[in-house]
Amino acid sequence: MNVFIPLVIGVLLGYILRRGEMKLNVEIPVSVAMLAMIFFLGVKTGEVQVNGLWLLGISTLFAVATIAGSLLLALGVRT
Amino acid sequence: MRFLFLVIASLTLGIAVGQVYSPNFGNAYEITLYVLIFLIGMDLGLNFNGEELRKLGREALTLPIKTLVGSILGGLVASLLLGIEPKWGLAIGAGCGWYSLTGPLIAQYSAVYGAVGFLGNLMREILTITLYPVAIRRIDPEKAVAMGGATTMDTTLPVITKFGGRKVSLVAFVHGFILTSVVPFVVPLILSL
Repeated sequence: MNVFIPLVIGVLLGYILRRGEMKLNVEIPVSVAMLAMIFFLGVKTGEVQVNGLWLLGISTLFAVATIAGSLLLALGVRT
Repeated sequence: MRFLFLVIASLTLGIAVGQVYSPNFGNAYEITLYVLIFLIGMDLGLNFNGEELRKLGREALTLPIKTLVGSILGGLVASLLLGIEPKWGLAIGAGCGWYSLTGPLIAQYSAVYGAVGFLGNLMREILTITLYPVAIRRIDPEKAVAMGGATTMDTTLPVITKFGGRKVSLVAFVHGFILTSVVPFVVPLILSL
């Protein structure tokens, strides 16, 4: 299933609820769903034989490169 | 900060369970992903506020675009350095620090790169929390907001507010808000290419 479908349905439902002036806090359901999903992501990852140091190394490189890329472009912005 | 520990604990527990037991949870992972995406969409629909965007100047509104483009380019450079297929690098970069969304979205196609997408973006958040106070000694605090990507409206906002000041906090919130609205569309778009 395409992720756009639940996303768009959610946006529309949220917008309709807001128009109907219904207050709804989705913070706790989001946190619970997120932790459950991260756990299942961990299970999926754990089933694959991966070198932990390799994973940590390339993750660090991606973190540094994406921060550097954003900063470099941002330095040209006058806010 | 406490939630960050819960996230790390949840991921570590999942990896340990996967390595030791290799359990079959069926499509529980996909179901929780779609539930989360739906809730994120609902949150966006409930809280979109155009007024806050109008309070800021046009130039502040271009900052998130530059953050996103820079992040994608950074991901591309990293993938080229590592000899990884550029699509993964572009998708990881497009996550802009939103690890809980980027990792699972990429994991639909590759468990390994899903883990890299998750950890890389999680580390971006951790690095922003630790390095933002140092970076603003040399860089304009408003421009340094770009470091945090989509996280600047929630998890990294307290650090940015504390060290950057109240004015920067509004820029940071809108910056994070715009990216949070865009990232759920950009990452799947890149992955579908």
